[in-house]
Amino acid sequence: MTAPAARTARPQEPSKARATLVWIGLAVLLGGAVWLADARWDKLPGLLTQGWKYFQLMSEGVLQNPFTEPWSGYWTRAFDAMMESVYMAWVGTLVGAVLSIPFGFLAARNVAPQWAVQVTRVVLNLIRAVPELVFAIVIMLPIFGFGPIAGTIALGVGAVGTLGKLTAEALEGIDPGPVEAAQASGAPRSAILRWAYWTQVLPEVLAFWLYRFEINIRASAVLGIIGAGGVGTLLSQLFSKRAWDQIGITLLVIIAVTLVVDWISGSIRHRIISGGAVRKDAGEREQDKAEVAL
Amino acid sequence: MTTTASSTAVAPARPRKPRPSPTLVGGLLAALAFTLWAGHQISFTLAPLFTNFANGWQIIERFLQPNWGYIFRVWDAWVETVAIAVVASAVGVVVGLVFAFMASRVTNRSPWLYRAVKIVLSVIRSLPDVAYVLIFVALVSIGSLAGILALIMFNIGIAAKLTSETIDAVDAGPLEAADAGGAGTLARARWAVLPQILPNYLSYCLYIFELNIRASVVIGLAGGGGIGQVINVQFSRFNYENVSAIVIAMFIVVLAIDQLSQYLRRRFV
Repeated sequence: MTAPAARTARPQEPSKARATLVWIGLAVLLGGAVWLADARWDKLPGLLTQGWKYFQLMSEGVLQNPFTEPWSGYWTRAFDAMMESVYMAWVGTLVGAVLSIPFGFLAARNVAPQWAVQVTRVVLNLIRAVPELVFAIVIMLPIFGFGPIAGTIALGVGAVGTLGKLTAEALEGIDPGPVEAAQASGAPRSAILRWAYWTQVLPEVLAFWLYRFEINIRASAVLGIIGAGGVGTLLSQLFSKRAWDQIGITLLVIIAVTLVVDWISGSIRHRIISGGAVRKDAGEREQDKAEVAL
Repeated sequence: MTTTASSTAVAPARPRKPRPSPTLVGGLLAALAFTLWAGHQISFTLAPLFTNFANGWQIIERFLQPNWGYIFRVWDAWVETVAIAVVASAVGVVVGLVFAFMASRVTNRSPWLYRAVKIVLSVIRSLPDVAYVLIFVALVSIGSLAGILALIMFNIGIAAKLTSETIDAVDAGPLEAADAGGAGTLARARWAVLPQILPNYLSYCLYIFELNIRASVVIGLAGGGGIGQVINVQFSRFNYENVSAIVIAMFIVVLAIDQLSQYLRRRFV
């Protein structure tokens, strides 16, 4: 600070060899993947012209007067199918939420004994590793047959994995004060779990449920392609007929309904986590971190 | 302790329980009504679980006897699945990063561009992955190119959302330093923001790669190539033994990639 003469030369830049090696490795990996993916890359240049053509065909359907036949029928059918997806997602999330409560308590280290925690965590991890689609194909379709119920139950079971894990993590993060107070006043175990544990995690857990509902709306569309009801079934039918005007209408309905439901569910979540004023506070940042886990 | 009688007389009565707020009651009633309506609309019932379990069990039993040899006969499809995930994640996270910089007030000082990018990203995120696969299958025909393009769209949405929220929360110090030094928008993003978000961003990249492996069943069922396509063919031929062998192998691949990415996360993040 005082004597510029004492300043030494600019320090040598640290070696970049490792970073360069990592970049080369990534480039090789990507190159290999491009080659092994067995994709018909020659089709890529046609994408823009083709895309524009189909986009125009879709717009034609959207831009027709929606109150005349047959367009009004297309809009109604798309909306009904999308609402079926929303219903499936809602009931499925509820099923998963109810099932995840006992799992959450059993997987929390400060609630359940060590062995129960270990076993429950393994079960939850296994459920998380299986996509809903696999539950639907392997277990639900044989029992419930084709239709929305198979999809709903598959969504519910699929949700148990993540919801159980997040509930357990929320329970482990509670303030021990109320638990000790309840114990000191001689509350029975069930009352401690209900009033000291559950009350503390309820807002966070409710927000997880709502977030899972938003995810399940998208997931229920996926289940539709194997015939488990909802908008996915309609979409795959329309695509196999190549009925672009109806596809355009259906996609627009999906986007609109998803945005509206996300917005409603998102504002309820904000209200639950941060109280009356909507602001980005610590609780909400926690929530964002949890969203990554979901 | 001896004056219990007098002290209880002095102590005020137990305070009344607060009345539940009207918002809460209304919200719960609305949720209940929506649940009943939704359950009615999809004719929700658990009855088949009891009445149809025996029939269903015959099929489930076949899934419980996986044809182990089949796992390695579809080696090419596995390689394709991983390759699809690598290409789609690589492109998706790079494009997503650019969108993320445009979707944060910290790095994007043009209000209208910020709003436009936010809206575009919400629309991209609102379509499910299967819709993208169906669209790209129609555009470039069945095969892994459709799967790659669909996953890229899906990845852009997630990468941009997660990264832009991380950018919103960066420390303002380096930003002020960059501004004081007269840095332009690009230099500011590269030297004041990127180093701060890099650990989180790398972790999102790994997460997106995991998601892409998991999504491969969906992608293939809709015609986007990879292992899902094999599942689709075997399922429609009622070869349940083969399907379950692939599902179990899929399970192991997903867990292995989870472990690998956890290791990388500890290493670099």
